[in-house]
This record gives sequence, C-alpha cells and structure tokens, in this order.
Amino acid sequence: MNRAAAFGFALLLLVGLALPGPALAQTKDDTVVYAIQSDIDTWDPPGSVLREAIILGYQVFDHLAVRDLKTRKVGPNLAVSWRSLDDTTWEVKLRQGVKFHDGTPFTAKDVKATFDRVLDPAKKMIARGNHAKIKSVEVVDDYTVRFRTDGPYPLFVERMTAQAIASEKVIREKGDEWMQEHPVGTGPYKLVSWQRKQEHLLVRNDDYWGPKPYYKYVRIRIIPEQATQIAELLSGGVDIIKAVPPDQMDVIAKSGAARTAVSPILRTAFIQLDSAARSGPNPFTDKRVRIAVNLAVDQDGIIKHVINGLGDRVATGINPMAFGWDPNLKPYKQDLPRAKKLLAEAGFPNGVDVVFNEGPPTVEPGQIQTDDAAVADMTKAGFRVKRNYTGDNTVFVARAKEGKLGPMFTWSWGYYSVFDADAILYDIFKCGEFYSYYCNKELDDLIISGRSTLDQKKRAEVYVKAQKVLFDDAAYLYKWGLRGVWGISNRVEYSAPPDEIDRMFLVTPRKK
Amino acid sequence: MRRYLLRQLVQLVVVVVGISILAFSILHVIGDPVTLLLPQNAGKEEYARYKHLLGLDQPVWVQYWKFASRAVQGDFGKSWYGNTPAFPLVLERMPPTIYLTLAGLAVALLIALPLGVVAALKRHSIVDTLCTTLAVAGQAMPIFWLGIMLIIIFAVRLKVLPASGYGTWQNFVLPAFCLGAFVAPLTMRLVRSGLIEVMNMEFIKTARSKGVDERMVVIKHAFRNACIPVVTVLGLQFGQLLGGAIITETVFAWPGVATLTVDSIRNQDFPVVQCAVVLLALIIVIVNTAVDVVVGLIDPRIRTGA
Amino acid sequence: MSAGPDVTMAAPSLETPARPDASGAAWRRLARLKWGVGGAVVFLLIVASAVCAPLISPYDPLEVDIRHRMAPPAWMDGGAWEHLLGTDQVGRDLLSRVIWGGRVSLLAGASTVILSSIIGVCFGLAAGYFGGRTDWIIMTLINVMLTFPFVLLALAVIAVLGPSLSNMVKVLAVTGWPVYARIIRAETLALRERDFIVAAQALGMSHLRIVAGQILPNLVSPIVVVATLQIAQVIILESTLSFLGLGIQPPTPAWGNMLGEGRVYMLNSWWIAAFPGLAIFVTTLVLNLMGNGLRDWLDPHMKL
Repeated sequence: MNRAAAFGFALLLLVGLALPGPALAQTKDDTVVYAIQSDIDTWDPPGSVLREAIILGYQVFDHLAVRDLKTRKVGPNLAVSWRSLDDTTWEVKLRQGVKFHDGTPFTAKDVKATFDRVLDPAKKMIARGNHAKIKSVEVVDDYTVRFRTDGPYPLFVERMTAQAIASEKVIREKGDEWMQEHPVGTGPYKLVSWQRKQEHLLVRNDDYWGPKPYYKYVRIRIIPEQATQIAELLSGGVDIIKAVPPDQMDVIAKSGAARTAVSPILRTAFIQLDSAARSGPNPFTDKRVRIAVNLAVDQDGIIKHVINGLGDRVATGINPMAFGWDPNLKPYKQDLPRAKKLLAEAGFPNGVDVVFNEGPPTVEPGQIQTDDAAVADMTKAGFRVKRNYTGDNTVFVARAKEGKLGPMFTWSWGYYSVFDADAILYDIFKCGEFYSYYCNKELDDLIISGRSTLDQKKRAEVYVKAQKVLFDDAAYLYKWGLRGVWGISNRVEYSAPPDEIDRMFLVTPRKK
Repeated sequence: MRRYLLRQLVQLVVVVVGISILAFSILHVIGDPVTLLLPQNAGKEEYARYKHLLGLDQPVWVQYWKFASRAVQGDFGKSWYGNTPAFPLVLERMPPTIYLTLAGLAVALLIALPLGVVAALKRHSIVDTLCTTLAVAGQAMPIFWLGIMLIIIFAVRLKVLPASGYGTWQNFVLPAFCLGAFVAPLTMRLVRSGLIEVMNMEFIKTARSKGVDERMVVIKHAFRNACIPVVTVLGLQFGQLLGGAIITETVFAWPGVATLTVDSIRNQDFPVVQCAVVLLALIIVIVNTAVDVVVGLIDPRIRTGA
Repeated sequence: MSAGPDVTMAAPSLETPARPDASGAAWRRLARLKWGVGGAVVFLLIVASAVCAPLISPYDPLEVDIRHRMAPPAWMDGGAWEHLLGTDQVGRDLLSRVIWGGRVSLLAGASTVILSSIIGVCFGLAAGYFGGRTDWIIMTLINVMLTFPFVLLALAVIAVLGPSLSNMVKVLAVTGWPVYARIIRAETLALRERDFIVAAQALGMSHLRIVAGQILPNLVSPIVVVATLQIAQVIILESTLSFLGLGIQPPTPAWGNMLGEGRVYMLNSWWIAAFPGLAIFVTTLVLNLMGNGLRDWLDPHMKL
C-alpha cells in the first residue's frame, strides 16, 4: 500500500495535466512563420490600437479598399467602385460573390453593421475617432452602400483601407465578447487556434474570392526577446521578423540564412510629454521644460550612429510621406546650454526628476538603443531620468489609454496606414483623445477645419499652421520618421511593405 | 506508519497556509492595490470608493479569510489585465513547467549520479579532483549565460536544435540540458558525499572484512543506503529546480508558469502572482512530502524518529 | 542561485581520521588549501579593484559617447587601446563599467550577507540554545523558507516595492537567513551540552552572558565560512534579478544588468555581455574556493 501511495502521488500529479496539444499536420513546406514581439489583445480590429492587431486583421479580414503597394494608390477590394454624390455623401458599389468564413454571403448590410458598431459612442471602440466624420451608413441595395458624412470628408477613400469588414450575422448573433477571440472575415486566411501569448495558427481560406496565398498555414509566434527572434530567424525557426534593431542587421546579413529589407514607413516616433497633466502634475506642463528636453537630445547624432541613418528627422509628429507635411519647418537642434538655461528659468536650476515609461520595441527598430542614448543626453541637460520598462504591449497601451503613462513615455504612430496628417493629429494631439496627452484649443480648431474641407490646398495651409503650433509649443519630444527593418529568411520571397502591413498571403518560397 | 503520514500531512497544510499568508501579505500589506489600479489623478472619493469595492477597507484578517476561502475553491480572482480568471490561467501554464522541471531533473541525475559515484569510489584521485572542480565551477556559472551560449551554439551556429518555443521533443533538449546542468554540480557533490559517508559506515566495513567482493559491497549495500540522502536531495532540489526554471523559461521563451509569473510581476498583475505562488508552493510541498514518505518507506528508523 | 539549502555546505567533511597514509592526507590538505589561498588572493584583488574604482577606472562608467558605440576590445579588429575591453551599445567604456559594477555587486553581496547573518545567527542561537517550542517554531519556519524557491517571492516583493539596490538587499537578506540559522542552530546544539556551558549555567550566569561570552566566539568559524559562500550566492542572485530587470537599474553598472542589456548583442558585439559574465563567474568561483578553503582550514569536521 505504501509504495503504491507514493507512486499514486506522482501519477495524480501527471494525470491531471495534459500533454502538449496535438499539432495540426503542418509541415515546414506549407507553413510560413511570422514572429511578433507582443501578443494582440483582441482579434476584433476596431477594438485595438496595436499595429499587430491591424496586421493580423489584414490576414483574416478584407477591407472596402486597399493600397496598391507599388503605386501607393488606393484601389478596390471589397468595394469595386465609389463616387461622391455630393459634398457629404459617398456611394460605394460592392463586390459580388464574396463569402464570409462561415459561408454567409457578403452584402451591404455587413458594411452597415460594421460601421454602425464602430461609430456607436456607447461601445467606445478605439477606431471610432478614425471614422467619426461618418454620420450614417445606408443600405441602398444588396451591393450598394451610401455613407453620409458630417460635412466634407476628404479622407473617406483613404480610410476605407482602415476598417476591417465584419459579418452582420456575427455581430447580431454572437456579440462583442465572442468576437474578441473568433474573427469571422472574408479574408485569405482563417483563424484555427490562438494560444495566448504563444502563437496563432491560421489556415488558408480555399474559398477566397481573390488570389490564393501560396502557404497553406501561417504560424504567428509571439517571441518577446529580440535576441531570440534573431536567433530563430537564423536557425530557421521563423521566416519573417520586423523592427530589427539596425545594429543587428549585419549579423543577419552575414549569416547566409537570412537577409534584411528596409523601407521607409508611415510611422513617426516621438516621446510623449504629459503637458495635459493626465497622470498628475509634472514638469512638462511648463512649455520651457518641454523645449528644454527637445533641445537636450542630439537626435541627428542618434539617427546617424545608433540606427545607422535609418530614420528621417522630423520637426513634429507629421511624417514626410503624409499629406500635409511641411518641409520648410526645421527641427530642434541640440543646444545643451540653452536647455539648461530654460530648465533654470522654469524653476529647476539643479535639474529635475522625471519618470520615463518605456514600452517594448515592437514596431520601432532600435528603440531601446536610441532611448539609451536619448536618456544619456537628457541627463547631461539636467533631467534625472528614472526608467520604467514594460515588456507587454497590451499592458503598456492599456496604461496609455487610461492616462497613466505620464510624465514621459515612448510612443509611435502608424497613422493606420492613412497617408494624411489628419491621421495622426486627431488621435495623438487632439485634446481628450485616448492616446493624446496634449491639450490646445487652437490646435483642436485647426484639426477640425483640416478635416472639414475637400480643398487640398486649404488643407495644406491648415496643416502648416498646425505644425508650427506643435513645434513652437514643443508638444512632445520629436524624433524621426521610421524606416522599417525586416529580417527575412532566405527560404522565402517577400518585400518590405511601405504601409507597414505584413501580408502573409503574398509570401512565396524562394526559387532555388 | 499511519502516524508518520499524518504528521507529514499536517506539516504540508501548515507550510501551505504559511505561504498563502505570505503571498497574500505581499499585495495587501506591503503594496497598495488601489493606487495601482486607479489613474493617477483620481480624487479621494474615487479612492475610497474603489477601496470599498475591492473590499480593502475591511480588517486584514477578514480579507485574508476571504482570500483563503475563495482560494480553496479555486477562485483567485481575475487577472487585472485580460479579465480572465487567474486560476485557470496559471493551471494552463503548469504542464510545460512541470515537464521542463522533470526533464531537467533527469538530465541532472544523468550527469550527477555517475560522476558522483565515480568520484566517491575513487576518492582523492585525479578523477575526483576533476569532478569536484567541475562542480565548483559549474555552481559559479550564471544559468542564463549557459542558456544563451547553448542557443548560439546549437541553434544559430549548428542549426540542429530550435532556439525557443514549445511543442516538439527537440524543444525540450536545450532547456532541459541548461536546467539540468545548473542543478547537476550540487547534486553530484551530494551524491558523492552521501556515498562516502555510507561507505565508511560500520556495516560496510563488516561486509568488506567478510571478504565480500568490492563491487558487491558498493552495489548491494552502499548504494541502497546511499539512496536515502540522494532521494532527500532530490526532494530539496525540486525547489531549486523550479527556481532555475524561472531563468531557463525566460531565456528559451518557454510558455510555463515561471514566465507567466515574471510577466505578471512586471505588470503588477497581483491576482495572478498570488495564484502562481500559492500553487507552486503547493506542488513543491507535495513533492517534498512525497519524498519524505518514500524515504520513510526505505528507512523505518526515520519514521519512528530515531 | 541555490535558494534551497545551501548545499556546498551540506557535504560533510572530506577527511577521515583513520587513513593509513597520514603524510598523504596532510599533503592533500595543504593542496586543497592551495586552492583556497589562491582563491583568497584573487578575491582580494577583486575587492581592491572595487574599492579603488574611482582611481583605477579609465573612464566614467556613465559617460555616453554614441560615436564610439560597440567598439570591440583592443586586441581585435577595430578596437583601440583607449577602450581595453571595448565599449557598450551607447559607447560607455566596458572596463570601467566592469570595475564599477564589481563595486555595486560586492556592496550588495556584503550588505546582504551582513544583514542575513545577523538575523540568521539570532534565530539559530535562539533555536539551539533554548530548544523546545522555540526550536520547533524556528525550525518549521526555516524548513518552509528553505523548501520554497523564495526567488519567486523576492521577485514579487520587489515588484511591489520597486527595484532598487536597498530593496534588493533587504529582500535577499530576508530570504537568505535560514541558511545561517540552520547551521548556527546545529553548532549551538552541540555546544550547549559541553561542560563549560553547563558549568556557566550552574554558576548562575545569565543566558545573555553565556550566549554572548561563551557560545558566540565558537561560532565565528562557521559564520565566516557560510558568509563567504553566501556572498557568491547573492552575487548570482543579484545578477539574476537584474537580468530580469528587477534588480539594480541601468545606467548604474552592475554585472547582472550589463549581462541582460548585452544579451541582444551576443551575436555580433559579444564582448558587452561576455566580460560582465566572466566577472560574475570568476568572482563566484574564487569565493567558493575561498569558502571551501576556509572551512577546511578552520575546522574540517564542521557540520556544514
């Protein structure tokens, strides 16, 4: 009895635990493996601000329109054509013969349900601000939809690429919570399984209306450490990684197993300063301190030496690729004496203590390394920086949304891949928005007027004014427009996407 | 025998309760969960309201009782980030850690047992010195250093094993070896000293003087009795193994409880941390108790407290 | 990182009295001491360099110079003699950082060990001297603390209190005292039965005087040996915590966080992580050698 008892102990322990789940019959040849650093929070794209949620959404959902990667122009996808009937009405004709993954046919009511849901103020969806100009959506017939906008809406066409179309049946029958884990789209891949914080498995949608992807399976592995991502890339465990630190590019290039690809992307990086005091009182509510910190950091030197020139210096958060960028506005140049003087004037002759909240480098190549250099510069000017690193992006952006990341935190913005100044100004600089820590009525007025006229010339003028406000007021610590750096295995053929959306359905094996 | 088991059980309960008190007090006594949960500019009324909502305005022992009574039913509250209940979250990540620990233990034994035996038998020889030196050096090596080196050599340079991840037996090799190598030096020295101590005992000398063949002496008598300290050591090593698993899991991106706990600690997700700590404690204590029981089986003298 | 019972000490004495080859035993004892002496010498060198860090460090360990970031060590291609061991990812001189890092690591080790030895000795004395229920309570506490990987609780506490040198020392001290307590208790138990203690008690000496005057002096040997070996453990623990980002925070140089930061560069700028790692390894090694040597010298029959 006694031996059995001891043995029984051990057995009980093991029996209660399941062995690793059975893997599907995927082989190396029919699977492409993509690595991300931090898992997404939800498979419901309008509910997330994460770039990875947009990327993953693109595999499983379709959009009304998509950007052509070569011409950079917006072209048809689920919508086949569109026209504006008048200043405030757009009519969109939809593609026929498209089915959702559950077999339901795609029709106009799905478009209406998708937008109604996102625009519903009670649901507090992250993407609402993007589409707030849309007042209502009308179903004209099964394949025609009319959008009524609140005044002229110049970005309508661009923004059609930024809303994943969901199924009306799913919205009605299953509800929001179910949709977080069960994406039902019309896209080239379907979700098979999601092991949180470990990996997602996608399988090809063989009924897809468009060109079929080569690879039957996509494995999206969550690998938090960049060193491990690179090791996996080199040893063949992963095919595509993104946001590679520029100082690791030579390791990949020399390995013979993989290569790097660089592309300017529509993303600017900056360090947000809590001038609106969302996290409580802090030194950055004083404009002089904000200018001081902008003068403290030698951004040009950092771009040159730390990220090997892979960045385009900007004066504010507007990216050179976005409509409305003002090329005549010159960025702050490092001036340590003046920075110290300003700090003293602001009441900090002996320097000031600040907390710097840093998130994981999921989309910004070399973020940790450039932050190291920036903090060193700030210290020289008299800022005593206490660094606070969060490795989980979901947690980090949740805190940002709740206003807890002040006085200073790392941030970047991908514009939802909409190449227009409005796509950053509204979400990041407008008072009261989830991720904005800046509050300036003058700027808010400019933002509203910028998105209320269809006259591009007028809009450009408005945006020049807006950038001057942002620059003079030193709203944030501005950095640069990013160049995305990808690591690609020599097993596959893939080009770096300038809109920062990795499309697994375009990956093909490399010809020998 | 029954009394011995009963005593062991009582000790188990006492230890687990003690650890649960510790785990509870970390959050509620040392930290202030309300401040962590609320935005920084929340006012005093908001603070008071939240405090009442979380039940934190009640006396500490009431709070502990609530925590403990819920915990026994498997309710450790919800994760503060993700709104999923903590208990299933932790439970789901247990198997990879357990398997890794067992694999690491196996590797450690594979290295430590033969070396320990040889070193004990050939005491003071070059082999012995070598083994002891290796053990001392092995104990000085930081485990994450070893893990990173293993990845570089076997995954990146030689490409024979995966660099990280979980799912196939190949994924087990490097982490298990890393963890095993971490625990092996200590285990080896214990095996060696345990065996030496036994070999010097009276009954061995008696057997020798009776002219029994040396090998038989070792195998039949010495080894069987050396099992006691070795088995005890194994039990103690389990706790240390779990400690080593924390680093191993981090280096190899192993989806186990240790990485979950470290992440939760970094994110200050205390319900999950509490749950993980209590469950891990439970497992360790169960293992130790099992070991004590087994040892009691082998040597009746221990049972009766001789 | 043995949060479990410190097992370098659980190995009983390696000497047996009744060996026929007496001169051989003596020679071997000396030979083993040779390692201990060697270890002690190297350790003293390390301590000296840490103490004299401001004098011998070629650069300020916090001085950033991004133009010279990731420079290889002097003897390699692209290295320069100004930076003997190269520079790290923001251009700080590695040699300076390793020297200053030693200062932090050793300071952490020493303070932790002093704190935990004080706590542990008190508990061990109480348990061994008074026996009975006091002993039972303390022993249970010790067993609880020794069986659980208290690294986990240490991590949790630091997460709440915030990572800093002082918090880390406090936490490690609290998790490290059981090792002392156990050994001190064993030694105290043995001493308590000895004649001179019994005599003192018969003479009516107060407990405090007996403990302080008679027992404590005899405990110096085990305390010293354990302390030496504990510093090594604390250094490894500190580096582990810093590696996880929960220990000493950058830019303050500490071997653990330097290793953690340098991890990403292992494939090209390997020196950023290699030299701190080497420093940890060498220091821990010589501490272990020194500790073993001390034990063999002071009392080979020590019940460690």
